[in-house]
Amino acid sequence: MALLEVKNLEVSFGLRSGDVKALRNINFALDRGERLGLVGESGAGKSVLGFSILNLISKPGRISDGQILFEGKDLADMSAEELRNVRGNRISMIFQDPMMTLNPVLTIGQQMIECLQAHRKISKEDARTIAIQKLQQVQIPSPETRIDQYPHELSGGMRQRVVIAVGLLMDPDIIIADEPTTALDVTIQAEIMELMVELCERNNVALILITHDLGVVSQVTQKAIVMYAGRIIEQGPTREIINDAQHPYTQGLMNALPQMAIPGQRLNQIRGSMPSLQKIPTGCAFNPRCDYVRDACTQQLPGFTVSGNCQVACHMVAEMKQAEQASEGV
Amino acid sequence: MTTQNQTPASKMPAAEKAPSAWQRFKDTHVWHSFIKDRVAQISLTIFIGYVIMALFAPAIAPFDPYDPTQIDIMNSELPPSWDEEMGDEQFWLGTDAQGRDLWSTILYGTRISLTIGICAVLLQATIGIIIGLIAGYRGGRVDSILMRFADVQLSFSTMMVAIVVLAIFQASFGTELYQDLAMVMLILVIGIAEWPQYARTIRASVLAEKKKEYVDAARVMGLGQIRIMFRHILPNTLSPILVISTVQVANAIISEASLSFLGLGMPVSQPSLGSLISSGFEYIFSGAWWITVIPGIVLVVLVLVMNLLGDWLRDVLNPKLYKG
Repeated sequence: MALLEVKNLEVSFGLRSGDVKALRNINFALDRGERLGLVGESGAGKSVLGFSILNLISKPGRISDGQILFEGKDLADMSAEELRNVRGNRISMIFQDPMMTLNPVLTIGQQMIECLQAHRKISKEDARTIAIQKLQQVQIPSPETRIDQYPHELSGGMRQRVVIAVGLLMDPDIIIADEPTTALDVTIQAEIMELMVELCERNNVALILITHDLGVVSQVTQKAIVMYAGRIIEQGPTREIINDAQHPYTQGLMNALPQMAIPGQRLNQIRGSMPSLQKIPTGCAFNPRCDYVRDACTQQLPGFTVSGNCQVACHMVAEMKQAEQASEGV
Repeated sequence: MTTQNQTPASKMPAAEKAPSAWQRFKDTHVWHSFIKDRVAQISLTIFIGYVIMALFAPAIAPFDPYDPTQIDIMNSELPPSWDEEMGDEQFWLGTDAQGRDLWSTILYGTRISLTIGICAVLLQATIGIIIGLIAGYRGGRVDSILMRFADVQLSFSTMMVAIVVLAIFQASFGTELYQDLAMVMLILVIGIAEWPQYARTIRASVLAEKKKEYVDAARVMGLGQIRIMFRHILPNTLSPILVISTVQVANAIISEASLSFLGLGMPVSQPSLGSLISSGFEYIFSGAWWITVIPGIVLVVLVLVMNLLGDWLRDVLNPKLYKG
């Protein structure tokens, strides 16, 4: 049994103008110790997915369909007590901006100790020892001193390390990291990502990495999911997706990487922008921006086609596969 | 917070790593702006003077105004001692109509006024903080209901509520009982009448705070709502609370004085500054101006320094005015 299984998840936001579906038909599974990347442009629904795994979508959002099974148990059926036990304890989350994630008026130690005491019956001294240990694990120098400092006394990279330490505090099974390195500069980004991978491997923690940086995804994760306008459009092993992207959108993202550009020329980009969730085009949501658009794309939602180990939601890929099979059949 | 900080001090490597709380305070913006602001320094000095007067009234006062055996009616309405003709060396600021030493009575009166002011504000703050936090954090219907309560409460003036409640209490339970309970009643009435000030201020800051990521992070950590509200959001709303507290203490003292002046406050046997002013008012035309004027000045100065301190705090704690 997979550690986390998301089945047919649909999340909608009840607005005055009617329900807007932020996520539709999301299916994936995550095993213990596995690292999964969630990729997509801003507004694709990556963060909403992260929050819905913790059943923490704020109003007016709600999970309107589907299931999120954690160790076989649906999060939607859990009592408030059980949910609190899952949050922080079994699944923890790391946010984008470390300055904002730590409470500015409490010392790091207070915040960590509080979290430990909320989940376990331990004394302050024991909690403190664990907190110092975790700070050591994230390679914070002289954790005994740092633990009594306030967040503003630390540098950005240091703060993100603290946030990771807080995430690891309860030895969770899953860490959801929502763009954990976007607020940091590039050299520190690499350090932090390396650290996270190392810690996840050592403690056998599963990682869901939410990002728009394909470079990070290719270095860190084993599986990847590409999202567009609230749907999964391509998922499979990271290496296959990176090396041989099938969906035109994923291809576009790959081509948009600065490394792919020819020096002296403009960077490639995908023309247009993500549609508003209230005005998703019929058929494939990507069709207005797609270079390979055909009649079927504007009329019918593409189903998943299996290509190698990947699943791709694209009419063009489906047609190509059919043609391939037909030629093989002959 | 501080106790926790001190425990590891022994483990810390060197003294230079662990500045004392006082040294740390000396580095803060609050301290720097304080040493630059003459008005704040004077106000704080005067205010501390008042607090010392109130705390040590029994030690400072030459007479005990509550002890009838120390009062001689023959000493009544003596002018301050600097009056060459009538003044008495014994009574520095003169005496009131009952022959009590005015200086002693003022000391005790300051004590009562400050106690009522501070306790009433503590009560206001407790009610206001709890309601404001819940309203702001929960939002939606809870918010609307609680805030409509606050609006209704605000639409009655404090004085009106206080006068009605105190008058009814006095009429139904008799003056005897009222005199015993006057202080508690004043604290309750002023405390309950003014909580919406706190509730509104806090709700507004909670609305801003709860959108910040650290609140999400706390929820993700699986912390309970009450814990998040009181331990994570409340400390972040402390600066507006501090500012309105100074102003509210001054207001509560004024409310108490006004009620006493109207005969609904502290009884003459245990006068606050307000009831002193009121009791002297009858004699002001017979020439005994000091019974009213001196406590009046004491009251005005007290309220003034509190408001000045409040102004200063508001400027210091306002990040928009912070110039580094």
